[in-house]
Amino acid sequence: MWALLLPALVPVLIFSVGPLLYGIAMAFTDAESGRNHVTRFAGLDNFARLLGDEAFWQSMRVGMIWAVSVTALQFLASLGLALLLHQRLRLRGLARVLAMVPWAMPPVVIGLMWRLVYHPDAGLVNSTLGTDINWLADFTWALPAVIVMGVWSGMPQTTVVLLAGLQNVPAELHEAGAMDGAGTWRRFWNITLPQLRPVIVAITSLDFVWNVNQFSLVYVLTQGGPGGRTRLPMLFAYEEAFEYGFFGYAAALGVAIVVVVLALLGAYLWRQLREAA
Amino acid sequence: MRITSALAAVAVLALVTACGGGDTGEPPGGPGEPVKLDFLSLAWQKESVAANKAIVEEWNKANPHIQVTYVQGSWDNVNDQLVTSFEGGDAPDVFHDDSPALAGFAAKGYLLDLEGKLPAALRNDIPQAAWDTVTFDDGNGGQGVFGVPFLQESQVIIANKKLLDEAGVRIPTPAEPWTWDEFAEASRKLTKGDTYGVAWPMKSPVNKVLNLALNFGGTFFQTAGGRTTVKVGPEEKEVLRRIHDQLHKDRTADPAALGMGTADPLPGFFAGKHAMLPAGVYLRQQVAEQAPDDFAWVTLPPLKGTTSHQGAVSQTLSVSADSEHQEQAVAFVSFFLNGRNQARLAKGDWLLPTSREAAADPSINGEEDGWDVATASAKDLVVAPFLKVNGYDEWKSKVATPVLQEFFANKISLDEAARRLVDEGDKVLERYQR
Repeated sequence: MWALLLPALVPVLIFSVGPLLYGIAMAFTDAESGRNHVTRFAGLDNFARLLGDEAFWQSMRVGMIWAVSVTALQFLASLGLALLLHQRLRLRGLARVLAMVPWAMPPVVIGLMWRLVYHPDAGLVNSTLGTDINWLADFTWALPAVIVMGVWSGMPQTTVVLLAGLQNVPAELHEAGAMDGAGTWRRFWNITLPQLRPVIVAITSLDFVWNVNQFSLVYVLTQGGPGGRTRLPMLFAYEEAFEYGFFGYAAALGVAIVVVVLALLGAYLWRQLREAA
Repeated sequence: MRITSALAAVAVLALVTACGGGDTGEPPGGPGEPVKLDFLSLAWQKESVAANKAIVEEWNKANPHIQVTYVQGSWDNVNDQLVTSFEGGDAPDVFHDDSPALAGFAAKGYLLDLEGKLPAALRNDIPQAAWDTVTFDDGNGGQGVFGVPFLQESQVIIANKKLLDEAGVRIPTPAEPWTWDEFAEASRKLTKGDTYGVAWPMKSPVNKVLNLALNFGGTFFQTAGGRTTVKVGPEEKEVLRRIHDQLHKDRTADPAALGMGTADPLPGFFAGKHAMLPAGVYLRQQVAEQAPDDFAWVTLPPLKGTTSHQGAVSQTLSVSADSEHQEQAVAFVSFFLNGRNQARLAKGDWLLPTSREAAADPSINGEEDGWDVATASAKDLVVAPFLKVNGYDEWKSKVATPVLQEFFANKISLDEAARRLVDEGDKVLERYQR
């Protein structure tokens, strides 16, 4: 039995578990870049410093605002889109394909594209709204602007999953509801949503984790600027490790983010599952 | 599961090829086999890339036993890339960077100390002031020379000739530059209708402000008893206040330009929306290339406060400490940066060469495109004080950039800005001094 599992297990151990353990171990050392530096065990030093690091807390705040609002908006917009694509529309096949387009684009391309959308002089947003705002350099607007892009780029996954869920809602339930005189809204609220619930819980949890760990989109768009207003936790960790060379501190940051995500996700899933039970 | 098995297959294949390659791959520079060097260049302007490649080609032709491969890099991410490749052990043998980055790399032991390894001709062709921009602590208590400085940048003012003439302001010369007061006065005269006297693009304000602050003796850092701290006193505040005044008191500077990068105001400049553009000398290239045919522009010399001194950093070529062919790499660098080649590189990048021989080259001393003014400004360049500050990079991006952006946007007062630069700054510097 064991021998048969081995070919599948070895890559998981080498590429997934190994680096994970290495990263966790590094969080307890003072590892830095440089050949003159001797790495020593540092206990909980890095974590103590994290607690007192204003920049870390700011980045966690930004990260939470980003992850929660992107996940929530993404869910609402995708649910609307999925309901629409579930209807018997003309050209439904084409519409479904078009809705998937953002999924096919690499994050770097999405970032570059949105940089043009937000361009202060030649951008789509300013010319449509008639505004004169440098969206990505403005202290107030940078984060909302980035969130809009995040929602857009993550919608296809969520839409596909919700659409699949919708198709699994038995039509008889709707027929029975209609027979008893329930209107569209009532049927949506009392039939579609409860039936969709396991799918919704799964996709929002996944979206949340993906969003907390988002890096490339925002890195291409703003590099965390202006003044750290869009510096997500992962960008912060990247800066600490590869710009300033504090590997141990960055690893501690990674561990802290994992802990926070697990805690939030645990609380969310626990509540949802308890209500479902 | 299928994906994991596929990954496993790929990994096994990769391992097999890697091992196979180890046996039959390039021998370690045995006799007859040419030595191979990688050269990471950051040239990005078209003429400059061409000049770089041409020089590499000349070298390869003249030295069949030392073959150099040109590798294209980018300023945007070169330092992140270098840190990972130094740590991973596959750094390029020779690479192009700038002196602020070298300070950190030198202390971490990534760079070859070039002291005593360079030919005297090159050593003497470049003035000591430029060598000072590449002389750093080696991280073990010693000092070393960790690169060859070759291009420097001064801050000049690019101005709309027609608007200057109409306003009747005195045109400054290198012998008689404008003072900051005259500059403010000229900006007032040039501001009328839709035209602002000046555009200060302040997307990355820190190096610009710190280099200019030396006009009034502002250094921003002080070292006492081996500890470096941030200092924002009357000297440092002078330039900050003058720029802020133009934006919010005189209203002679376009507030819309604040969020822009250096080249972004150019369309507005060509349209007559901004009369003057403080910028590094290299921006002349884009002006010359993009300006409408009938657009007349001039390069004005650096401003004068109590002095005309500006902080300077250098673009550099360095050799990795890990390079297997250090001697050959140094020989290549020495050839690449001789006087004749430096003149070509300076011309290609529209910057100032450090080489005395190159600086005298007629091709970069003509009146056309402001070369005479640009080249003359080299005499006021002194080593930027922030260059020797460990942790400057982090101070710059975490503290100084947001603080200066908020200050210029008039969101915080000068005193508040000064307080934050010092308090938050000292906290950042602290972790580099343990």
